[in-house]
Amino acid sequence: MSDIIGIVDYGVAGNIHSIKKAVEKAGGKALIIDHLSHFDKVDKVILPGVGSFKDAMQKLENSNFIEPLKSTTKPILGICLGMQILSTLGFEYGETKGLGLIQAEVKPMLVSAKVPHVGYNTLETSRNSKLLKGLEGVEFYFMHSYEVVNYTDIVALTEYRGHFFVSAIQKNNLYGVQFHPEKSREAGVQLFKNFINL
Amino acid sequence: MSIRIIAKLDIKPPNVVKPVHFEGLRVVGNPSELAKKYYDQGADELLYIDIVSSLYQRDIVYSEIEKVANELFIPFGIGGAVRSVDDFSKLFHIGADKVVINTYAVQEGPDIINRSAEIFGRQAVVVNIEAKKWDTSWECYTDCGRVRSGKDVLDWAKEAEERGAGEILIQSVDADGRNNGFDLELCKAIVDLLDIPVVVASGAGGLEDIKEVIEYAQPSGIAIASLLHYDKFTIQDIKAFLRDNNIEVSK
Repeated sequence: MSDIIGIVDYGVAGNIHSIKKAVEKAGGKALIIDHLSHFDKVDKVILPGVGSFKDAMQKLENSNFIEPLKSTTKPILGICLGMQILSTLGFEYGETKGLGLIQAEVKPMLVSAKVPHVGYNTLETSRNSKLLKGLEGVEFYFMHSYEVVNYTDIVALTEYRGHFFVSAIQKNNLYGVQFHPEKSREAGVQLFKNFINL
Repeated sequence: MSIRIIAKLDIKPPNVVKPVHFEGLRVVGNPSELAKKYYDQGADELLYIDIVSSLYQRDIVYSEIEKVANELFIPFGIGGAVRSVDDFSKLFHIGADKVVINTYAVQEGPDIINRSAEIFGRQAVVVNIEAKKWDTSWECYTDCGRVRSGKDVLDWAKEAEERGAGEILIQSVDADGRNNGFDLELCKAIVDLLDIPVVVASGAGGLEDIKEVIEYAQPSGIAIASLLHYDKFTIQDIKAFLRDNNIEVSK
């Protein structure tokens, strides 16, 4: 029996349906988590995110999802803002506490180039990762103005006009990617396959 | 970092249409079929703009798009008659990754840019500007080049950025649909002025026009419509040509 992949719907909508389609294309079973009780029904969790750090944390709190996300030992994959809010602190529209699962802060991208960083870019992996297996040098779609500042859990970096930022992290059961695998054609589907097969 | 090649579908429900010089509309096909076609050709993004909804104060009809938006794994920008944060929400729900706003923001309520950026993040807020050239400046027009706004294009672009826009889509009322090249000075002025990405549209008549605007203005993306609609070139053709000219594009 294959794992059930839960996708957390905490009211920011956005790319939830395309993530579901991509997980299904990757051969996985997907369940939208829009109630607390759904966390027990899934084997792995995807935490999407479109919006601002502050708004996302508020909506997670309103949905009572903060506690189950903090306490679970199931693999969690945070995507874009979903990865950012795994951090301790965010600085988008004021200072906001994140889930605090990864020792990191989320700050505006420090680059002398156009921000948001939008478009296809590649990864340079810094250590082995089952999630990124076979995906080194492959292009993924990025769309963000903030970056995760972390030194201990980096799996991949990406270069944008001379500036290297964290594009993938992993710590125990926690995975995070700054890009959008659900918007990255076959490469993204492959990443979901890797997540399903962890 | 590669330049984004974006397929732009102008919609008059239920069809994709091509405005000629922002005046007559020719039907060119079905939105979902064309979206699929350009996806298969390697488009980096798709833009759906309902170009009549604002003018006729109609709600946008996007059932067609919803069918394909979640099946194609590239970003979708959707726009047309966006007037409220609720409209943004609706469009994200049907599969938009970015929402394109124009008329309401420039003519009535620019504050919608601030509010939507705060909720959805600035990367999701695209401000579309239709520029009409006068002697020494450009004026913002709306509703397919029919309605004047009195606002200077560069002033408005800067204001939109300051309010929280994450990207500007710049169109030229004069060059659109004429296949006669981009308004190069307009494109360059906007790119140089802003710190956010700029996508240029309007005027690609051939591959050389695309190369010219990329080299001269260095936009972050380029939106193509008629060249693709009339099968003059495919997205593979455009990318291969740019690659041959040492311009970085995605695979």
